[in-house]
Amino acid sequence: MSHPSSAPVAVPVTPLAVRVVSAEEHLDFLRSRSSASFLQTPAWGAVKSEWRHESLGWFAPAADGGTGEQMVGAALVLYRQLPKVKRYLAYLPEGPVIDWGDQDLARWLTPLTAHLKRSGAFGVRMGPPVVTRRWSAASVKEGIADAAVRRLDDLVPLERSQEGARVVSQLHELGWVPQAVEGGFAAGQPQYNFHLPLVADGRPRTEEEVLKGMNQLWRRNIKKADKAGVEVVRGTAADLEAFHALYAHTAERDHFTPRPLSYFRTMVEALSAEEPDRIVLHLARHEGDLVAATISIRVGTHVWYSYGASSTEKRDVRGSNAIQWAMIRDALAAGAEVYDMRGITDTLDSEDPHVGLIQFKVGTGGEAVEYAGEWDLPINKAIYKAFDLYMKRRG
Amino acid sequence: MSLDLTVDGDRWREHLRAVADRTPGLVPVVKGNGYGFGLGRLARRAQWLADHRSDAPGSEKTADTLAVGTYEELPEVASRFDGSLLVLTPWRPFGAALEVDPAIASRVVHTVSRPEDLAALLERQPDARYVLELVTSMLRHGMTGRQLRELGGLTSRGTLEGVALHLPLAQGSHLAQVQRLATDMVSAGLPSRTLWVSHLTSDELDRLRSSYGDFEIRPRIGTDLWLGARDALRVTSTVLDVHPVERGDVFGYRSRTAPKAGHLLVVSGGTAHGIGLEAPTGDQSLKARAATLARGGLDAVGFVRSPFSIDGKQRLFAEPPHMQASMLFLPAGARVPEVGDRIDVRVRYTATWFDRVEVV
Repeated sequence: MSHPSSAPVAVPVTPLAVRVVSAEEHLDFLRSRSSASFLQTPAWGAVKSEWRHESLGWFAPAADGGTGEQMVGAALVLYRQLPKVKRYLAYLPEGPVIDWGDQDLARWLTPLTAHLKRSGAFGVRMGPPVVTRRWSAASVKEGIADAAVRRLDDLVPLERSQEGARVVSQLHELGWVPQAVEGGFAAGQPQYNFHLPLVADGRPRTEEEVLKGMNQLWRRNIKKADKAGVEVVRGTAADLEAFHALYAHTAERDHFTPRPLSYFRTMVEALSAEEPDRIVLHLARHEGDLVAATISIRVGTHVWYSYGASSTEKRDVRGSNAIQWAMIRDALAAGAEVYDMRGITDTLDSEDPHVGLIQFKVGTGGEAVEYAGEWDLPINKAIYKAFDLYMKRRG
Repeated sequence: MSLDLTVDGDRWREHLRAVADRTPGLVPVVKGNGYGFGLGRLARRAQWLADHRSDAPGSEKTADTLAVGTYEELPEVASRFDGSLLVLTPWRPFGAALEVDPAIASRVVHTVSRPEDLAALLERQPDARYVLELVTSMLRHGMTGRQLRELGGLTSRGTLEGVALHLPLAQGSHLAQVQRLATDMVSAGLPSRTLWVSHLTSDELDRLRSSYGDFEIRPRIGTDLWLGARDALRVTSTVLDVHPVERGDVFGYRSRTAPKAGHLLVVSGGTAHGIGLEAPTGDQSLKARAATLARGGLDAVGFVRSPFSIDGKQRLFAEPPHMQASMLFLPAGARVPEVGDRIDVRVRYTATWFDRVEVV
């Protein structure tokens, strides 16, 4: 056209290469970033020992124009074998760790899928760690109170992320298929999470500010626990057994299937080997009785509340609130920017049994966050289809 | 002696108000033959809708904009409706789009469907108002998500009034597609959150409004608005002549012979009005296609069914319709209407030109 100034400018695209890297290279790259999901650390590959795993790196020509190259992205890939066949679903939980703000995601994803195809993958599943929408605690609370609002989707979000939308649009264009949140692969990561931001306007929040943001019930319960003499301490590997006993008790009470003690031993060993305080066990005691126990994980500026357990006795001393508050203070002290309370369902229906969990998390005054969710790219369409059918039948 | 559309005014206006009330942000569409009513009449009626807006939330903008099909249609409506005028045919750097009357230029909202057209439009008219059309599964006009993202700073020039979607007629739910396109819109970081949509059911519109409470939704509606109350509309033809015939009598342009005794009726309404012409119905069934074939192949054997009916019974064409009139065959034994009597006609409103439209 006769208007060159407004024609889209073709940005020179640097070709990226993907290849297997060592766990050390992988970890070094993650340390150079502000944060990454703990499910993308090399240590997590060791935790998921039932799957073959590998660390991948993305490489671009060195910025100085020399002959060298630099690592610009990383991924932990879990290869999950299809029953009876030597073909794999390549799974990148909450990853890969790449520049998701890139306008041209194909230059990252095309060499990735080429590598995975060579490694015997019939399909790829990944969960771009990209936020698409956020809702404030106040609006979630109003939503629960409003009978006309049934899901987060019915609420006007605080923010609709342009970067998140750009990722979703590009994935559609590149042939990736969004996976439904409910059901599906057992290890599917939650699309909706609850975050307590630990920074505001670019500076860290103080403990007082965080407390002030909580609702009255939370503040009262934290105070109550303190008055009752609940003590929260950091545990060691030796306390894992006590944690697990309480966790198994919680599982029975709340009707979920507990993981075995060995799983937690492996997790603590593998993650601790990577960074000294990557994984922390917290124990809340009242007059010597264990009333709550949790596991938190930190990668850079992101802290996750990962597992929790609480006693049925002595609920009135509010061990759960006390132990959360201790974890939040630890996160603040470590310079974290987000305290991540992990998954919530998107229901805001006050009749739904899941709403209690959301209400507990909303009390911290944080925000509900929607991620781009998990996406599949079928490589071998026939096998992928068979796998999809198998997963659906399995329910 | 004419083909007439008679409108039960109270009933029709009641329906128009009801649609407007339950569709906040409504954009009435008038295009082509004005759905049988004529562009001018519908433009005045749209003005009436704007003047009688309800005070329900979101209704402030109901009927503040009128949509026409082409630039050529603008002069017909511009003096009868005083709001904004959206042109649905995408702007191109040639033709009637470049000949808009300067007096109404600031009221016109252009539809832009190609990146290069946006640059060209803004060069010609730096203060142009426009919507960006996104390509849907129809693959008619429109940009892809990537093209939208690559418009960059261009969209901050002129006045971007939103993004327009032209959806196919309902085949299952449109919502998944609308969500994808809305995501494309967010991904481009546009300085507007207005979505112009068509062909969504009121349930789909409700769900869209609830999921996109931070967007403004502008539903474009033509058929369901103007023709939604069929019982308010009556189409009639006038009996112009009646001739008794015996079996074997010769008649008509092509000197056909009557197959049996009866009457020939000459009635108003012919090809000039759209009578006897087949517009595709969209009905894909074998039966419908066979019916279309039968009506098209009128001359082959015997008589075919006409859209005219007498005493509730559809009558046969005696020969293909002419410009202004049609000839029907009425077998012996049927009641014979008088010259001057009105008989009913079933028409496709979007393909029929009436001699008179009477609102009573």
